[in-house]
Amino acid sequence: MLFLKKYKKYEHPYITTSIIILILLAFLSLFAPVLTDYNPVRNDARNRLQAPSREHLLGTDQFGRDVFTRILYGIRTSMEVGLAVVILTVIFGGVVGIAAGYYPQLDKVVMRILDAMMAFPGIIIAISLAAIWGAGKLNIILALSFAYFPKMARIVRSAVISIKDLDYVDSARAVGAKDSRIIFKYILKNSASPIMVQATFNFALAILDEAALSFLGVGIMPPAPSLGAMVTDARTYMVVAPWLILAPGIMIVLAVLSLNLLGDGLRDLLDPHLKNTLKNREVKK
Amino acid sequence: MRKEIKITAVVVLVALVFSLLLTANVLAQEEDRYGGTLNAAFQMSVAHLDSDNSTDSLITAMMNHVYEGLFEFDENLNLTPHLAESYQVGEDGLVYEVKLRENVKLHNGQTMDADDVIASFRRWLELNNGGQLVAPYFDQVEKIDQFNIRFKFAEAYAPFLNILASPVSNQKFVVRAEEVVDEFGTDVIDRHVGTGPYKYEEWVPDQKLVLTRFEDYTPSSREASFFAGKRTAYLDEIVFNFIPDAQVRVSGVQTGQFHFAEEVPRDQYPLFEANQNIDNVIIYPDRMSMLIYNNAEAPFDNKYARQAIAYALDFEELGYAMIGDPQFWRLESALHEEGNPWHVPDAGEGIYGVYDPEKAKELLDQAGYDGDPIVILSGQDNQMERQGAIAIQDQLEEIGIDVELQLFDRPTVVERRSKKEGWHIHLSPFIKIVPDPQIHQGWTGTNKWISNWDSEESREMDQIFAEMLREVDQEKRYEIMERMQSKLWDSVPYFNILDYSRLHIKRAELKDFKGSWQPFFWNTYLE
Repeated sequence: MLFLKKYKKYEHPYITTSIIILILLAFLSLFAPVLTDYNPVRNDARNRLQAPSREHLLGTDQFGRDVFTRILYGIRTSMEVGLAVVILTVIFGGVVGIAAGYYPQLDKVVMRILDAMMAFPGIIIAISLAAIWGAGKLNIILALSFAYFPKMARIVRSAVISIKDLDYVDSARAVGAKDSRIIFKYILKNSASPIMVQATFNFALAILDEAALSFLGVGIMPPAPSLGAMVTDARTYMVVAPWLILAPGIMIVLAVLSLNLLGDGLRDLLDPHLKNTLKNREVKK
Repeated sequence: MRKEIKITAVVVLVALVFSLLLTANVLAQEEDRYGGTLNAAFQMSVAHLDSDNSTDSLITAMMNHVYEGLFEFDENLNLTPHLAESYQVGEDGLVYEVKLRENVKLHNGQTMDADDVIASFRRWLELNNGGQLVAPYFDQVEKIDQFNIRFKFAEAYAPFLNILASPVSNQKFVVRAEEVVDEFGTDVIDRHVGTGPYKYEEWVPDQKLVLTRFEDYTPSSREASFFAGKRTAYLDEIVFNFIPDAQVRVSGVQTGQFHFAEEVPRDQYPLFEANQNIDNVIIYPDRMSMLIYNNAEAPFDNKYARQAIAYALDFEELGYAMIGDPQFWRLESALHEEGNPWHVPDAGEGIYGVYDPEKAKELLDQAGYDGDPIVILSGQDNQMERQGAIAIQDQLEEIGIDVELQLFDRPTVVERRSKKEGWHIHLSPFIKIVPDPQIHQGWTGTNKWISNWDSEESREMDQIFAEMLREVDQEKRYEIMERMQSKLWDSVPYFNILDYSRLHIKRAELKDFKGSWQPFFWNTYLE
């Protein structure tokens, strides 16, 4: 693949670090049942708010549940939500973006609607949708996808517009290729990099917003573990049991930071213009 | 012989001097207590200060310093005459004759008499929730002479005096100056003339209420005990500050800005304990957590299913999960706490606190429970409600009952629980302190209440209620109460999981503060 070749060539430190962290997080969440003996929702309130110890690596929460276990499953929830949101936004954003970019007669109408949607901050749309549909993992995924897809559509559209008038597309058209073949074979393939960058950012944003929604009480329903909900619940105990708020907080930071770094790295890697400016800067130094 | 007399004389003299010194010392100490401004931090602001016109308990708590009742409750929730000197109940509970204390001064300088009481009473009867409970049974109030009043009932209503003294918001009857009542009628009063040890000085909405000492206050001669008896205004000034954020209230006390803070997080108790300048005030018993069934919907339209849940739950574990530190909660099966005259000690014997999942499963089978998910409807903002619901879900799922948790904000919860379907179990905090068992929120009886309880059993309960309403003899009323409690634990339309308390904090220099269900600052002083 193209970017792997490029990656080898440039050895981007951001990407390396973030990929290591992400692999670690993915490992933790995938192997949660093996890594811990505790059940993430089973109560043992008589042993509540215990400090970190050998039995409970990160202590216990107000219900006596093992915090380490809940964090592992919380990361799993975050990853699930992030992945699902990315897949949905790529599909919806892709379809709408291509339609708007490739068929000029649709462009004005679709883009104005998307503009209107983008006038509201994504989190506000997500909160209102989650409030209307009710809390729960599936609803959160749908609400966040709905909030993010306009931006994805916009990025796909501009990629499509810039590519569709290039010579090789014209020649494909001249040969008599159908729209579907042109779109999938020539346009989509060549607009992969901005989509990939945006998808990575969406992944990070989805994890952060899931945490925010759960923090506000419209996200993942208790007792299911979610990093954001853990932070909310821990606020009351911040002074007496600081590990309760620190552990999930640090996990959110790690996940979001690494994804953002990955996104930044990918953009540097895949966007020749930006890379050149960076190089120039180095030369000037 | 002479020597002996001499020695005796010396001893007597020394003793005399000592005792004189001691008395002087005590007097001086008493004198030292006077003065200072007390700053208290309360969590909610109030819309106005007219207790007859609002259900806000803070209004009652603050204006208790300005207004006094004919009767007040003492520490043990016993009714005590306060502005009243004495009273008599006659003719099968249809007539109450009350003699007022003479020479009690109002804040406008006049002497309080029957006219003030009657004017205030008529307003209370019309406007106040407590008054509205009494009104259907009431006939009229008559002035016998300047300091004697007769209350006449059309039908006997046993809780009358207890309601007059009620410590609950929007129930207590307080005496206001007749001129003020005439001026405002049923409108919200904003000129406050009462008989209390403090008088109204200034109110800045959403910010503070300032009260100052009333120099001509006439205290009751009875022994001081909570709201009853002698009140002494040591403080020059009391400032009630309205501070919604708990952490701000806490740090205010930590820095010395406030002398008292209402409702602070219980889990910070060890921090306050370690601080020499701060004393914990545990208000106990104060609240109870009620588990309420939807008696109209299967499976809980069957009493065996309702009993089953009581067996299925480990109440002690719930205590830790809902509240935490065991010094803030205790298991209690009765509607009234230990020490309350209405406490029934053996309520729920054999079922309350008996953790027996096997029996629970048997009872559920007996009730024909088909395994449909049980919906627990609960608030998400209150710690007890939220954590209680989560813990109950966990315990029920452990014995194989499928549970769906629905946590919402308060208005949504109130709306959903008022419906006959869509929920099975609801958790709600109740105020434990009530003036009379018959105005207990949980025992207005039956299908009128949120539990949708409407069956043979509920109608029997209604009869017990009516019987007790007519019975004026308090001992006989207690016997009825015992019957009612055992009936309640047999049919279990709802039950009390446990009692729990709130935590207030105060500065160490605030002395002789009594932790009552509504904070008050007479008889306390700053060192």
